[in-house]
Amino acid sequence: MPPRLNLLRSARTAFTRSTPSLASRAVAPCVFRCVPAREHSDSEKPQHKPNGPSREVPPHVTEEAVALGKAYGEGGPEIEQGTPVQEILKRDPKSLEKAPQVIREELGQNTGGKGRVASSTLEALDETEVMAPGHNYPLPELPLASNLNLKHRYDPIVQLVTSLMMKDGKLSVAQRNMSLILQHLRTSPPPSLNPERPLLPSAPPPSHLPLNPTLYLMLAIDSVAPLLRIRAQRGAAGGGVALQIPVPLGLRQRRRRAVEWLLEAASKRRSRGSGKGGFAQRVAEEIIAVVEGKSTVWDKRGAVHKLGVSARANINFGRRR
Amino acid sequence: MLRCSPSIHPGSRLFSTTPAFLANPIKAKRPDPNSSGPQKGVKSLKIKKKNTLRSAGRPPAPGERKALRKRIVLSNTNALEVKGMQDLSNDNMADKQIQGTVVGLPGPLVDQLRAAEAFRTGQGWGLFRRPGVLMRENSLEIARDLQDVVSGKKTLRRIYTGERGSGKSVVLLQAIAMAFLKDWVVVTIPEASQNRIAQDLTNAHTEYAPLSSSTTTPSQYVQRAYTASLLSRISKANSAVLSDLKVSLSHKLRIPIQPGTSLSHLADLGVRDPDIAWPIFQALWGELTSTKAARPPIMLTLDGLGHIMRDSQYRDPAFKPIHAHDLTIARHFVDHLSGVRSLPNGGAVLAATSASNVPFAPSLALAIDQRLHPTTSASSPSPSSSSSLSSSQQMPVWRKPVQRNPFMTYDERVLQSITPDLEIVELQGLTREEARGLMEYYAASGMLRHRVDESFVTEKWTIAGGGIVGEIEKASVMGPRV
Repeated sequence: MPPRLNLLRSARTAFTRSTPSLASRAVAPCVFRCVPAREHSDSEKPQHKPNGPSREVPPHVTEEAVALGKAYGEGGPEIEQGTPVQEILKRDPKSLEKAPQVIREELGQNTGGKGRVASSTLEALDETEVMAPGHNYPLPELPLASNLNLKHRYDPIVQLVTSLMMKDGKLSVAQRNMSLILQHLRTSPPPSLNPERPLLPSAPPPSHLPLNPTLYLMLAIDSVAPLLRIRAQRGAAGGGVALQIPVPLGLRQRRRRAVEWLLEAASKRRSRGSGKGGFAQRVAEEIIAVVEGKSTVWDKRGAVHKLGVSARANINFGRRR
Repeated sequence: MLRCSPSIHPGSRLFSTTPAFLANPIKAKRPDPNSSGPQKGVKSLKIKKKNTLRSAGRPPAPGERKALRKRIVLSNTNALEVKGMQDLSNDNMADKQIQGTVVGLPGPLVDQLRAAEAFRTGQGWGLFRRPGVLMRENSLEIARDLQDVVSGKKTLRRIYTGERGSGKSVVLLQAIAMAFLKDWVVVTIPEASQNRIAQDLTNAHTEYAPLSSSTTTPSQYVQRAYTASLLSRISKANSAVLSDLKVSLSHKLRIPIQPGTSLSHLADLGVRDPDIAWPIFQALWGELTSTKAARPPIMLTLDGLGHIMRDSQYRDPAFKPIHAHDLTIARHFVDHLSGVRSLPNGGAVLAATSASNVPFAPSLALAIDQRLHPTTSASSPSPSSSSSLSSSQQMPVWRKPVQRNPFMTYDERVLQSITPDLEIVELQGLTREEARGLMEYYAASGMLRHRVDESFVTEKWTIAGGGIVGEIEKASVMGPRV
């Protein structure tokens, strides 16, 4: 049988790929910030400030605005003198024109005196229509906030917990449970902290937590999140014994473990009520128990960390020197 | 089965009156090696039953779990006190100035509303420092109408309908609150309550008996336990008003009524003895509607109208379903709603449909649809429906004329009970100003962590299907995005 000649195939290879190859995609920057692992041989003091177990806490709004103003080459708000914006606007009427839309609106409202716009919203929209000709609605301010994307409209930690709670692909049930959890956190009394189980160093006072349930949830999860996991390398310890190797975890990995532990502990709790919201209530009670230092999740975290410390000599196993 | 015992001598047989059993005695069963059952002395696979989680604590008492589910929480100590929030009062309830603001319900009024079971679970009362209601267009409308009732001794008869989350039950609650403030007598038949559920009027969960005095066909049925609970609700919620009113008519009851008895005491007699609850209720109603003495106007409300606009779950002796209108309490309400019976001292008969717990009541749906979208003027919105948009902004929409489904059987009794002079109000979404007032209240309570500005309000208003208030609540404070 003569070898089949396919001229088309050879010609097809000559076409250029319109989509970037996988290799070029791989160099894209990593989205999730990882906790830097420190070797034992490294110096005690880290080169740069570690991010800590939580995400980096953003600076104050004013500081951020100053940084933004600096980047844009404008003055930004004056934080050194502590001058109120109204004063600046009063002494410099020109700045009022360049002030953001929201500030101008607010000033307009204050003159109204009621704290509520008297004119109809439709009229207000008509005014802005003049501001941006050619558009039905005012253009959004750029850059867009991270939660303005449809796929990322919920807080990352809320989204993570929701998807980990989801069973049988029933997302809306998980979302309802998530909102019930947040409601429970908002309506329950502020937690009493246990000094034996310290939370994150940057934790706000407990009285602030119920009014910010997302922060409450994040604080509980990030506080019990383990820093590492134990990888059992089979046969590496000799004689068929597995070698325990501590492996550092990234932010999302740590949170995932903490949430899994939390949900496991919650499912073992006893349900008090009946009906749909039972599981959500138990999860919420477990979150409060974590913050109060009563949860068994803390013991799990302690056990993993203890094992990690005892196996710290194995960290460099299999690494090239 | 009779079995011969093994005899001592193989040849001899024991005396027996039963026929001789000639066959050899049955040998003891040898285990069959092919059988699947476990054999003696041989280990077999045992699968342990799964360890079911047995809790150590005491099991919940009967009704405890349900009570937790049906609990109505009206306060959240974490929420911030809203500064400058007005209280609902007789002076400001019809004031145009408070449209679009949230007003608080004063403490004694909250107790009355709780006794009348006007609050429902899932309405979000538990998120805020104290109960507050948004004064929307329909709230002011009902306030004005109640004033007209007082001045003209008229009877306001109205059904609130609208899509799910449009605020039907809360408007009803506002009407009840206003009636309490005006010292009316309020009689409520709630949709869902702690002890007597919802559909309990018709879902055959309470006992019933034919009314002995009824001579009409079909015969009437009385629910004694439900009537007693209704009387208890009336007595608790209206205790201040009813204790001042004295019995003026003579009643033929099984127990003697003293001439100077207060109406509150009269109601309590029925609460104590369910057997006479229905005659007591009739006597109380006769007292309240009598024109001989000075009587306050009455407000009669029912939430979840669909439940009494169809066959009930009860059965008559021939095992045919009993129509809900043949139950005395439902009949009492429907007669007042359709205008068959009137309130001589004035008052209001209000009903709200339910969109989250919807019974199959096609006749009611048809009657409401025909009234809201009459075939004669299909393109124009009906005058009774209040709309958030003005007519100039509304596009003329061609609607398919509402007609009877030829494959459906309709209930003529229900269709006739929705009389032409009965007002039907379809609740629409909030206007954007009202939505803004509501969101500012959320933000001031600390429940909404966002700046309430034009774009935010517009966004939520749009997401909420054009200001459907339940959806606004879901989008801004109840959802996972807070």
